Amino acid sequence: MLNPLKCFGKYLGRYAGIRSLHSSSPLSHDSLFVHRDSPEDNPDTIFEFTPENQKRVDSILAIYPEGHKRAAMIPLLDLAQRQYGWLPLSAMHKVAEILKLPRMRVYEVATFYTMFMRKPTGKFHVQVCTTTPCWLRGSDEVLEACKKNLGIGVGETSKDMMFTISEVECLGACVNAPMIQINDDYYEDLTVDDTNEILNDLKACKKPRAGPRSGRFAAEPLGEPTSLKGDPPGPGFGVRADL
Amino acid sequence: MLRSSLIKVLNGAKVSPKHVCVTFRAASDVAKKPEKIEVFIDDQPVLVDPGTTVLQAAAQVGVEIPRFCYHERLAVAGNCRMCLVEVEKSPKPVAACAMPVMKGWRIKTNSDMTKKAREGVMEFLLVNHPLDCPICDQGGECDLQDQSMAFGSDRSRFTDIQFSGKRAVEDKDLGPLIKTVMTRCIHCTRCIRFASEVAGIDDLGTTGRGSDMQIGTYVEKFFMSELSGNVIDLCPVGALTSKPYSFTARPWEIRKIDSIDVFDAVGSNIVVSTRTNEVLRILPRVNEEINEEWLADKSRFAYDGLKRQRLITPMLRDNKNELTPVDWEAVLLTVCKVLQQAGPNVAAIAGGMADAETLVAVKDLLNRLGSELTCTEHVFPMDGSGTDLRSSYLLNNKISGAEEADAILLIGTNPRFEAPLLNSRLRKTYLHNEAQIAVIGPKVDLTYEYEHLGNNATAICNVLNDNCPFSSTLKNAKKPLIIVGADLLKRADGAAILSLVQSIAAQTCNKVEGWKVLNILHKVASQVAALDIGYTPGVSKIREAKPKALILIGADEGAINKEDLPEDCFIIYQGHHGDLGACMADAVLPGAAYTEKQATYVNTEGRAQQTLVAVSPPGLAKEDWKIIRALSEIVGHKLPYDNLNEIRDRLDEVAPHLTRYGEVEGANYFKQAAQLLQEDEEKTLDDSPIDLKIKELQDYFMTDSISRASPTMAKCVQAVLKQKESKY
Amino acid sequence: MSASTIRVGVKQVKPILSVDTEEAKKRVLNLYKAWHRQLPYIVKKYDIPKSVEQLRLKLREEFMKHKDVKDIRVIDMLVIKGQMELKETVNIWKQKGHIMTYFQDTVEHKPTDFLSQFLS
Repeated sequence: MLNPLKCFGKYLGRYAGIRSLHSSSPLSHDSLFVHRDSPEDNPDTIFEFTPENQKRVDSILAIYPEGHKRAAMIPLLDLAQRQYGWLPLSAMHKVAEILKLPRMRVYEVATFYTMFMRKPTGKFHVQVCTTTPCWLRGSDEVLEACKKNLGIGVGETSKDMMFTISEVECLGACVNAPMIQINDDYYEDLTVDDTNEILNDLKACKKPRAGPRSGRFAAEPLGEPTSLKGDPPGPGFGVRADL
Repeated sequence: MLRSSLIKVLNGAKVSPKHVCVTFRAASDVAKKPEKIEVFIDDQPVLVDPGTTVLQAAAQVGVEIPRFCYHERLAVAGNCRMCLVEVEKSPKPVAACAMPVMKGWRIKTNSDMTKKAREGVMEFLLVNHPLDCPICDQGGECDLQDQSMAFGSDRSRFTDIQFSGKRAVEDKDLGPLIKTVMTRCIHCTRCIRFASEVAGIDDLGTTGRGSDMQIGTYVEKFFMSELSGNVIDLCPVGALTSKPYSFTARPWEIRKIDSIDVFDAVGSNIVVSTRTNEVLRILPRVNEEINEEWLADKSRFAYDGLKRQRLITPMLRDNKNELTPVDWEAVLLTVCKVLQQAGPNVAAIAGGMADAETLVAVKDLLNRLGSELTCTEHVFPMDGSGTDLRSSYLLNNKISGAEEADAILLIGTNPRFEAPLLNSRLRKTYLHNEAQIAVIGPKVDLTYEYEHLGNNATAICNVLNDNCPFSSTLKNAKKPLIIVGADLLKRADGAAILSLVQSIAAQTCNKVEGWKVLNILHKVASQVAALDIGYTPGVSKIREAKPKALILIGADEGAINKEDLPEDCFIIYQGHHGDLGACMADAVLPGAAYTEKQATYVNTEGRAQQTLVAVSPPGLAKEDWKIIRALSEIVGHKLPYDNLNEIRDRLDEVAPHLTRYGEVEGANYFKQAAQLLQEDEEKTLDDSPIDLKIKELQDYFMTDSISRASPTMAKCVQAVLKQKESKY
Repeated sequence: MSASTIRVGVKQVKPILSVDTEEAKKRVLNLYKAWHRQLPYIVKKYDIPKSVEQLRLKLREEFMKHKDVKDIRVIDMLVIKGQMELKETVNIWKQKGHIMTYFQDTVEHKPTDFLSQFLS
């Protein structure tokens, strides 16, 4: 009974081309992986760590033992990005100089991690999650609200260099979907109004409260708990009586 | 950053306890040597050392596992996955190149699982590889082509009729030598590893991730190094190909002739590819003793200079003071008349590319004419034993010996550009052997870290008199090595410096049998053979002698010019390129370049090797020793050899090692050489700074008559200068 | 030991035509005479720019090329070849050029000494 069905499926598969490889055009990353000189980003861009950050640099370097100082590369790049807002070429050069590494080794790391922004980025980097759970919970509307509120598209930066919108993949807050991340803060359980409020607050130089907007404290169920409400059962629960 | 500096820091100044400990351990090492373990490759048992990888174990029984990223001379990357093989009881296939074998492993290199894994990997590689083999320069010698034929699936599942699916990467501009088609790249990272491990230029890397990953320099930067051409050989696909050779020929239509390189004194082994009597390209040939499998850029790319500026017909200077083409009879008769009139007042200068056969023929001719004035263009001190003892002018410890050294002192040399392949050995020693390296001479970039001890003769004295920390390192080292550049010994106080260096070498505690501390690095291919045959180094004797006739054998470095010679001195230039020498000549005898003759060259180690005829000499040009032989007959002092075998017999008479091809004739009598030099009259040291002719990369490319005629080399110089202006 | 086996080997060789040197010599002389008799006709029939005298010299030269051959089997073989040649010539199976190749008028001899080799 099963065999002819299988056979049929096999032939169907072959003729319908199911076996052949997926042939849609692959999605490429939106940023370039070669450097192009621009007025903002060229080897002459001045980048120096501020005195405070220089102290931070020293303490970061102190963590790593002699001979393994190159491990400080990611923290230093991150520090540079926090100081400058994004990571210009000269900052990479600076890090290479501090770690006494060939510049290429720093370029490799900076291009590998998508969180290193190698293009001019606004003061507030609005990262809207559009992966499936958030999308199901209305991330499209949230993204639309961001675009409308800030008047820029995805991947663009506002003229006053305050905001950049990015569409990102899952940021791991699916239980509080939909969500956006602005710089280091997560804003969760969003509606269109919430989004506008957050953005307006930021525009007004106020710091909106991070976290869920639905009144939840964290990732607990909305409203009443639905499970595990009673006392936990003691030993021997669910075990056969004769054992 | 390859070498962890941790050990260095922990050890601090390396002093004897470590070495004592090492020697102590060495004695018990024999007994303690870990047992060999037995593994089975396709049911063939093989005993291997622990730590051997599956791929190496398979190679021991002659089973070759396909690979792209793995290369014997580079670090293991393990990223191409082509070498996957099945190991019995292992649930998934293992990467043979990176997996050390365990006892009793049964490795199946031809099982169904292995085959399936290879087919799968190959399919993935080909999904993003363009199907442009017909227009690809690698076609016919492409690892991807060969391995997809041998191990790939027999049918394609790639049905992208919209032509939308393949990944495309923009090409990089890596300079005038390397052409890139980055879409063909399969990310084996061999070029990156070569650049950072062997060449010491960390300019290549991977940027991006996943399917966006690409190999390149990230910023706009040329990949300029003296060894850059080797990435072309390393590239398993057509991503990196030779720019000068692009779209020239297919590997199956060319003839390959084994030969020897003469652009430096290393004597790298090469393969000359020719078609229709034209040199199309030059590739390295494996010789573990000399060049491993690398080749310097000048040796590889200067071949286009062989087609330009060539002397193709004999020439005589006419009454309008212009060189006019004549035939051989006319030129030989004219030269003969001159030589007969000059009698014993004849001199000869050998240039950097003269072969041993020519050298011996010229010397024989001049001796018959009653002259002893045979000189080389490059100077070497003649005080003390001079060139009588070979040990004082050879790289005694051999090129491969440099790999074992633990303390190296470089005096007045820039091995990176004078002998790039020796420098790659030194870098290897630095990386893997923790060698301490110090330099006396100008501060140059050698691609490894070194201690700079100074730039004058005082620094050498300091090492001798224990006035610097490095001298104790050197003297306590187990295998110390001193390399002296031939450039340094050109100075007026060359002999004094050589004497100093000999004293330092004598002070080192030489514990290892057969280890030779003192090494001289020559810059040109002919020098050792010329000194072996008995040429006088340097042209000062000719300046004093005021000869009536002067024979230049490819001497183009301008060691002597018309002002140094009497008015009526007749200059005969014999060589292959119209360069400085031919300009001042009264008669020009066109000779053959190294690709056009079967000739003997002795490298700086004292190793005789021979070039073979790849193409015939252009126009009326003849093999060099034959010109001298013909001339001798017309002059009336017929030389007693008519063919190559006979002249080689003569070479054998002069110095038997000149015809023992491929072998190094070791030299000895270091003590005697040092004594003789010290017995000589008091020498004064000149404390002026040491200067080198080749300090930076742009000086490297054009150093002799062939490379000066080469457009590719000119482009390289331009590219390096352009790179200098760039901010990256 | 080995010398005797060789001698045995030589003994056992079957003669082609002649049994001893005398007979072989006779065959050679016969062939020579036959050629000699044909020379005037060859000059006439082939209409070659050579005289009978020149042909006689050439004939002698060709025979003298093999004057040192001692092995009667080789002599016999050469005689057979000579007879074949004669037959082809007499029956006009050859052409003028074939006869003229004996004289090699057009062949340029390569120089053998070093200097001429060098200058050529």
